[in-house]
Amino acid sequence: MENELRNAIRELLEKQEIDVAIGYGRVGVDGAVGAVFVTSPDDVEQIVWNDECRQNLAVHLTRPEVKAFGKIGIVVKPCDARAVVVLANEAQVDLDLLTIIGVVCSGIKRAKPDGTTADEYYAKCETCVQHTPQNVTLVVGDVAEGEALDAKNEQNAATAGNNAKLAKLRAMTVEERFAYWREQFSRCVRCYACRQSCPMCYCNRCVADKNRPTRIDTSASLKGNFAWNILRAFHLAGRCVGCGACASACPAGIELDLLNLTVSDAAKEHFGFVAGTEFGVDPLIGTYADDDKEEFIR
Amino acid sequence: MSQIVTLEQLKQTLGAKLAAGAKVVAPVLDGEFASFKEIADVEQASFVPRICMQNSIEEFFFPKHETIFTFVRQGNDVVLNDAPDFDVEQIVVGARPCDAAALPVLDPLFAWDYDDRFYQRRRAKSTVVSFACTQSDAHCFCTAVGGSPENTHGADAILFDLGDGSFEVRAITDKGKALFDGKTTESDKVGKACDAPVVNFDVWKIADWIRANFDSPVWEQVSLRCVGCGTCAYVCPTCHCFDIVDEGSYKKGKRVKNWDSCQDAMFTMHASGHNPRDTQGKRQRQRLTHKFVIYPDKFKFYLCTGCGSCSRSCAQMFGVRPCLEALDKEVQ
Ligand code: SF4
Ligand code: SF4
Ligand code: SF4
Ligand code: SF4
Repeated sequence: MENELRNAIRELLEKQEIDVAIGYGRVGVDGAVGAVFVTSPDDVEQIVWNDECRQNLAVHLTRPEVKAFGKIGIVVKPCDARAVVVLANEAQVDLDLLTIIGVVCSGIKRAKPDGTTADEYYAKCETCVQHTPQNVTLVVGDVAEGEALDAKNEQNAATAGNNAKLAKLRAMTVEERFAYWREQFSRCVRCYACRQSCPMCYCNRCVADKNRPTRIDTSASLKGNFAWNILRAFHLAGRCVGCGACASACPAGIELDLLNLTVSDAAKEHFGFVAGTEFGVDPLIGTYADDDKEEFIR
Repeated sequence: MSQIVTLEQLKQTLGAKLAAGAKVVAPVLDGEFASFKEIADVEQASFVPRICMQNSIEEFFFPKHETIFTFVRQGNDVVLNDAPDFDVEQIVVGARPCDAAALPVLDPLFAWDYDDRFYQRRRAKSTVVSFACTQSDAHCFCTAVGGSPENTHGADAILFDLGDGSFEVRAITDKGKALFDGKTTESDKVGKACDAPVVNFDVWKIADWIRANFDSPVWEQVSLRCVGCGTCAYVCPTCHCFDIVDEGSYKKGKRVKNWDSCQDAMFTMHASGHNPRDTQGKRQRQRLTHKFVIYPDKFKFYLCTGCGSCSRSCAQMFGVRPCLEALDKEVQ
């Protein structure tokens, strides 16, 4: 499959359909996998595909340094593909300049705190039923035996309420839940790694950076940290695709995936909305329905 | 002859300090994460030498968030109240040698154009006990910046795990001697650290390359995968940038000092909207130049102890060692 991917990218570069391919390569310490930016067909051997391809490369699509390349080919897993859809629906990427190279994925192994690979899949992968990417320009790889029904399955299981941790959180009393998040947020150092790693956090000036006047406390105090984490979760309602990039990046090990899952779940429960499943859909927080149950919005 | 302390004696020593009102900071395990935390009970701590930590000991000298003074409006006056001095004894135990080594690197900075009493007080009140490393990993490069797995720079005492529930104690300073005075027993067992991590680049030569190549396109190329998340700076024992802001209202509030990072685009954003470091390549260049050129020029120390925390924590598999290795390819 790795060769198939390299060949596809080589052809795109040779035909000049793309100026750069953003894929995965062994770039880190001890050959750890991270993003590579390949501009020449001669360099496609740098590209790899395996169960350590963790990052959601869609985060690079809105960066000015990357946009400057011109026509971009991007390698996406099925979950990451949804991030590209959201970016397109929010007018952040020009689909004419984009070739979306979807790879069939049967799960990604979790990284341990020291950067090495754990012998276990991410929770999002354990519950994933969509191993074949949707809404992409081309698909690389075959649907494995037994996975062919994926497309018929409920899309986006990663954000469905079938996560054991989420169920545990839901079962808590309000006080218990508050205590839980209090402990989690107390660790936040306000590095904003969650924001920088998230494809959906593309604002040129994040509200946390507004200082004329200040909107939320920038201090890593409990008050400031609650304000920041809740604000970010709200801004991701109906937008988060559950890729987990934020949680992987957080140096404090805060369970941001769980926080975002609760909000995605609410978007689904109350509005039947799942982020990134279809092009041309208006963003949930950018629209309202005439028959909304809340009066203030009508 | 060596001096040894058993794990029980170490716990008792720290327990007695806690009982006497001292603040004790030690590695605490939470699942697979280990971080330095203030402990209330010695049983909370894990006394196993570890190289992968979620934070460094720096925050117990230079906290992530600290009040400088509070203000309150009274009639037409504003009353200012200085934040109280740090006034308890602090014992930081279990530091990695590369954590402890960061303190002498930071000392001249916090006593340079302005005597930072917050840092100075904590430093004066603290005793630092490090653990000699028992293993290194591919992120470690202390050897490249003058350190080693048994480096005692910045430590008041260093403990060598003897693997039998006891540690060899080597007191380095009077503070270290005082902490273990009467607590150790003589032995013929001698502790040994792991082998020094192998490094195949020369920081000195890379620093020369950095001096000569401010405008090199290499900076943008090597930094492409960096998303500017700043994790590398927040886990770093030597990174020390901060921002000063006022919080509260015009009636009542406080002036605070918060950690900041040069990897954030906002760090250099001018009020006009112009940003002199508008790409990640420029921001990485700043980070590396500060660590390996600007700081040593000014304070004679690299602003890096080679601990590897930055690359261990980087979700994009970047950080200082990969960056140095990429720059090393340019050094001919
Ligand atoms: S909030 Fe986290 S999980 Fe959701 S899209 Fe952003 S990075 Fe991915
Ligand atoms: S990445 Fe983690 S520590 Fe950093 S701001 Fe986000 S929640 Fe806080
Ligand atoms: S090097 Fe890694 S940790 Fe540092 S800012 Fe870049 S992506 Fe974040
Ligand atoms: S720059 Fe990286 S290796 Fe150097 S002291 Fe900081 S965290 Fe450690």
